[in-house]
Amino acid sequence: MILASANFGLFPSYTVIGLVLGGTYALAAIGLVLIYRVSGVLHFGHGAVAMFATFIAYTVSVEHGLPSIIGLFAAIVTGAALGYIIERFTIRPLRDRPALTKVVITIGWLLVLQTLAGAIWKNTAYHRPVQLVSRSGFKLPVLNLIIGYDQLTTLLVAIGLAVGTAALLRYTTLGISMRAVADDPGAARLWGVNVNRVTAASWMVGSAMGAVAGVLVTPQISFTTFALTLIVIDAFTAALIGRLSSLPWTVVGAVALGLAQTYPRMVTNISGSGEAATFLLVIVTLFVLFRPGAQRVRLA
Amino acid sequence: MNDNVRLRRITVVAALAVAIVVPLFISNFYQFEASEIAVLAILVLSLVVITGYVGQISFCQYSFAAIGAFTVGSLVGGHHWSFWLALVVAVAFSSVVGILVGIPALRLSGLFLAILTVAVALFFDRFLLAAGTWDSFSGGLNPWRVGRPSFFGIGLDGPYAYYAFTLGAFAVMAWLVWNLRIGKTGRVLRAIRGSEIAASMIGIDVTLWKLAAFGLSAGLAGLAGGLLAAGVGGVSPPSFDFLHSIQIAALATVMGVESIASAAAGALALVAVPEILTHTPISADYFPLFVGGVLIVQLVFAPQGAVPKMVEDIKHLLARGRHGEPDATTDEISAKVTV
Repeated sequence: MILASANFGLFPSYTVIGLVLGGTYALAAIGLVLIYRVSGVLHFGHGAVAMFATFIAYTVSVEHGLPSIIGLFAAIVTGAALGYIIERFTIRPLRDRPALTKVVITIGWLLVLQTLAGAIWKNTAYHRPVQLVSRSGFKLPVLNLIIGYDQLTTLLVAIGLAVGTAALLRYTTLGISMRAVADDPGAARLWGVNVNRVTAASWMVGSAMGAVAGVLVTPQISFTTFALTLIVIDAFTAALIGRLSSLPWTVVGAVALGLAQTYPRMVTNISGSGEAATFLLVIVTLFVLFRPGAQRVRLA
Repeated sequence: MNDNVRLRRITVVAALAVAIVVPLFISNFYQFEASEIAVLAILVLSLVVITGYVGQISFCQYSFAAIGAFTVGSLVGGHHWSFWLALVVAVAFSSVVGILVGIPALRLSGLFLAILTVAVALFFDRFLLAAGTWDSFSGGLNPWRVGRPSFFGIGLDGPYAYYAFTLGAFAVMAWLVWNLRIGKTGRVLRAIRGSEIAASMIGIDVTLWKLAAFGLSAGLAGLAGGLLAAGVGGVSPPSFDFLHSIQIAALATVMGVESIASAAAGALALVAVPEILTHTPISADYFPLFVGGVLIVQLVFAPQGAVPKMVEDIKHLLARGRHGEPDATTDEISAKVTV
């Protein structure tokens, strides 16, 4: 009965939607993994930071009508600034405290940012998305498939930033320091790495990537404060598939999640089928990859 | 030590006396809010069991409460069951679900458990309780109506009567949870919280105890949910969403999650602070901001938790210089988290 509405002719276009969604999840998840590996903090407020930054872009570009690219820039600056503030003033002082305490701090930030944003931009109101490029698109000849320029841009930006992060980690001094701190902060300090600065940098870069993900995802999802804050869960799911460590696998996980959330909509109109898919993926991943004694993998 | 016991008894009796007498003199609306405080205290108590005693973090207590509430709602509102029978089923059902959530938790420590519980909360919030998924449970678009029951012939329709009943329920549950701290159970739980490996070395079945703790905690939350349904007169999904769950976990942490007094204090704050905020130019919508802000400041500056710290301070004042054994801090509870 539910399956009656299934239309598998839509398969290619749902694939595109899933890939685009997965691309934004990948950005958010890469930021999350970067923060987690360098500072050891599971950042539950990651989505809230991205949301806040995205709504700054909304204010700049939609409310004040400035070009979207300036809005995106404002979001990146806001994200990086929030990342710095959170790390510098509420995570760094807790250096020697257990991991769970720091997690609870980020929950506090989630509540603070979510409430503030609700007060400023109203939780339930409709918000026009920040459209970086036009919605119009081109037709792919063989599959008879229309791809929007915004979808293509999102995918390209996601791929570009993922590759860029990998390059940053591999070839730059900062990236090498980040990997050193991720592997062994004590040893990194002995080798003359400024651990504080590297940690702050990872929070800033990670949060800025979350902000980019937030701005890019606005045309794809319902653009509300809560929906964006909850992106952290999708990012976590993707990151879990990468065992919270490996960036390539995180990207794979993000794409898998994007598709897993999109395909059910092809065959059912039950609301929350995307969340159900996420939940199943979390459970399966936790069981398969986090067996006691499962090996840790490197950041890059 | 004896002084401590006497002091505690006096405090408990005085607090109960205040809790019984003061609501007699307030308006019906505030009496209703008082009953909400008592019910939410049971919910925070469920966190005391799982986080405070066993050291497992949970961001999905409201999901367990939702199971209780919607079981009562669907059985009473949809099938015209007796409230009491429905409440028993609700507690049993939420316990079972708690144990089911506890099974993966056995293999996961700290941070991953936190992710799992968030996923559970969202699954309930967005999928199970969404209209169209399981309407015979969630009520779909028409919220269940649940009337107030009568308790051994005493009608609980009046706000004070219902308040007295919920206060009694909280007192009984608090006593039950308090008893877990002492004797063999208390030692076992402390051993597990201290080190699961060491506990299993001395022959404690850690698996069984943890599952039991999850079951008990979820059962308490389910009880709170069922009572909430009868108190409000109905249930609808938005009151059990994810944000509520993390807010209550945050508040329990602020208060100090290992003490029963902080369950009462947390619930009081959960109802009273928004109520106060509505009478100021700031609206009650800012309450999560307040919780989050206090949480951050407190974890940075006073990790012990507000209530244990206050208790310490009072003891310190009374016993000038004599130190009681401090309760475990949030840090100690999570100290064994290794990732």
